[in-house]
Amino acid sequence: MDPSILIQGAMSVFSDPLTLGFIILGVFVGIIFGAVPGLTATLALIMFLPVTYTMTPVQGLSTLIALYVGGISGGLVAAILLNIPGTPSSIATTFDGAPMAAKGQAGKALGVGVVFSFVGTIFGLIMLVTISPLLASVAIKFGAFEYCAVAVCALALVISLAGRDLVKGLMGAFFGLMVATVGLSPVDSMKRFTFGMSELTSGFALLTILIGLFAITEVAKAAEEVRQKQDMRVETNVHIKGFGFTLKEFFGQKFNALRSSIIGCIIGILPGIGGAISGMLSYTAAKNQSKYPEKFGTGIMDGIVASETANNAGIGGALIPLLTLGIPGDAVTAILLGGLMVHNIAPGPLIFEKSGVVIYGLFVALFLSAIAMLFIELFGIRVFIRVLTVPKYFLLPIIMVLCAIGAFGNSNRIFDVYSIMGFGLVGYGMIKAKIPTVPVIMGIILGPIFEMNFRRVAQLQGSGETLLSHPIAAVLTAVAVAALIFSFIMNRREAKKLAAQEAQNGAAK
Amino acid sequence: MNLKRILSTIALGACLMTAAGCGGSEEGASSGDVSKYPDKPINLVVTHAAGGDTDYNARLLARLLEKDLGQSVVANNVTGANGSIALEQYKDGDKDGYTLIATNSAALIGNKATGLSDFSYEAFEPVAIYGKQAGENVVVRADSPYNTIEDLVNASKANPDTIKYGVSMGGGVYIASVIMDKEIGAKFNVVDTGDASNRLTALLGGHVDATSIPYSGAKEYIESGQLKSLGTLLSSRSEMLPNIPSLSETYPDLSVDTYYVILAPKGTDPAIVEKLNKAIMKVVKENPEYKTEVEKMNFQAPWCLSVEDTKAELQKQLDHFMKFSKYLK
Repeated sequence: MDPSILIQGAMSVFSDPLTLGFIILGVFVGIIFGAVPGLTATLALIMFLPVTYTMTPVQGLSTLIALYVGGISGGLVAAILLNIPGTPSSIATTFDGAPMAAKGQAGKALGVGVVFSFVGTIFGLIMLVTISPLLASVAIKFGAFEYCAVAVCALALVISLAGRDLVKGLMGAFFGLMVATVGLSPVDSMKRFTFGMSELTSGFALLTILIGLFAITEVAKAAEEVRQKQDMRVETNVHIKGFGFTLKEFFGQKFNALRSSIIGCIIGILPGIGGAISGMLSYTAAKNQSKYPEKFGTGIMDGIVASETANNAGIGGALIPLLTLGIPGDAVTAILLGGLMVHNIAPGPLIFEKSGVVIYGLFVALFLSAIAMLFIELFGIRVFIRVLTVPKYFLLPIIMVLCAIGAFGNSNRIFDVYSIMGFGLVGYGMIKAKIPTVPVIMGIILGPIFEMNFRRVAQLQGSGETLLSHPIAAVLTAVAVAALIFSFIMNRREAKKLAAQEAQNGAAK
Repeated sequence: MNLKRILSTIALGACLMTAAGCGGSEEGASSGDVSKYPDKPINLVVTHAAGGDTDYNARLLARLLEKDLGQSVVANNVTGANGSIALEQYKDGDKDGYTLIATNSAALIGNKATGLSDFSYEAFEPVAIYGKQAGENVVVRADSPYNTIEDLVNASKANPDTIKYGVSMGGGVYIASVIMDKEIGAKFNVVDTGDASNRLTALLGGHVDATSIPYSGAKEYIESGQLKSLGTLLSSRSEMLPNIPSLSETYPDLSVDTYYVILAPKGTDPAIVEKLNKAIMKVVKENPEYKTEVEKMNFQAPWCLSVEDTKAELQKQLDHFMKFSKYLK
């Protein structure tokens, strides 16, 4: 790491009051999106990506990062006070957060969640700063074979881990791969599946698919419940003294926090898995390793620590493959990829050399976002509690309009607005059929990467190179095969268990 | 109740404003007097994405034209398929002079040669060529034995298909590789390695032996001694970089200039086209801010052609590319 670039990067953030302002505003807005059930960090980034187009690269990326940090962390507010995860990544926070609130310890629960969100974010950042330059120096050796294998491996992991059902994961991923083939083919630029429509020549824009599948679908889902009388029992009697817990309690969690950070960060690096699973995994790990596993779920801070440290540590982790390989692992990083491209920053092994100042600026912004999140969430908790009580029928129409504007702004054409409606319908149908949507996005992202590099591998035929002459590629391909076989076996085992249970139930009757 | 009233007031206000806006635009379209042009904002459609050189040039021009024309020039990006989507959509656009297109010749001419589009500049009223890209440099790693383009070409003739040359299929870079193959007889193993930043990565990572990269992308690596430039694909040496030879000095056919072009939809009043050309010419040739910006950001010397010269230059490039069209499709 070149210290002079690091200093320049830090200066680019600190010397611009606007950047600092955008970070604070971004974290604040992000927490609101995280806190309100139905609004997610992904949605926050989708909404605000077009706004960042006109900013400088450092301002724009700082804003997006701030929204990301706020959005992931904000989920804990609803998880603790409403017993509903504000974002999917806070699912495991409800297990102990809600019981603590019920015991009258809401303030302590929020304090623990916020502080360990901060700890997790910082751990993720440290991993990001140390691992990504190392990975970048390895990734420069990645050629067509390796990228091909990375795409196959990532897709296999997504299919086997994103959903409970291997077949439905496959369906999602294949739908994504199909959508990705619309437009010009990679390498030889032939028009495919355009049906003579010039609008389809460049295919569907990733942003419009993301808005459709994630934003419009969320609105449609929430609209189902709008007529039901909302049972809003928001715990408003919240007092936080200091951080809400003692220094001794903080250090009592050091191993839990470290383990959860590592789990969160690794899950973040792996494609398509996301915060929800990392929270669950580290919660389970904390429970299994604990001296008092029976207390988990009754309202102890260990559970909140595990979940919130892990989901925030995933932020730094998810940025590692995005920056060094240009491969986003989930919907949020796919939007960040769009943010990088708009500012002419090409992610890849050379990112630290070509765009070092902006990238180190981004690291500094992540650090500042973590600090802003800590203070805004602790001292502004009353504001966020108020937001939770705002009825959905005010929020959803506004979101719908902003989605349409965002889609139109992407390329200034009305076709993209029709596309988000189309993908919104598809996404709603997929939710009803319990087909996970994350594999769709990964199919759309990884399909072209795979196809392009596969065609390049084909161009190299005759030079005598095979998969075996590329050990990294061979190992990744083996991992992909292993992941699918493992997932298949687990699926069968679960199905057998279910069948056995049903048989037992039947016998009992 | 109160909320309903507020909402209906807002809705009514919005309707009125839209109506007023429509009225204004109809008036503008009906006035045929060129001396009054422009009396409302001009929409400049940019065919390539924000952040790239085509977008940068278009936005810089738009900003400085505003001061001369007294009307705002609003740049909008309509992107995809190397600009062909916007070109297809706007070639028959409004002919009142308030819709203009900013593109580059690799899209306008190159797409016809590669078969991506079935029309070229003749489907528009060309307004001006207002700049020339600083040029792709053919580059090799510093430790490679080749110091001139002849070294590289001759080595490929001696050992056909052993030297990997990275291109982006279908683009100007690919056209250059076809010219090297068909006219000069170079025998490279031409492999697709994607856009400029990916070609740079592939060259530094040792996946290809030679490729071409715009000077702005390769500059720091050339200066730090990691890469060597064998020359540019320009038709003549750049005024900004007189020390880098033009490869057409060695092989006359090996030139792929990329021009930045402003177009108007077919059928736009020639008087309006002429007036716009004068305004653009004035910005490019006389505005000191323009000169400073393009030199600093794009290593590009201010350069602009009249309407007639623009058409002639585009036709020349079309003829040059169409010679190789059958190998490009």
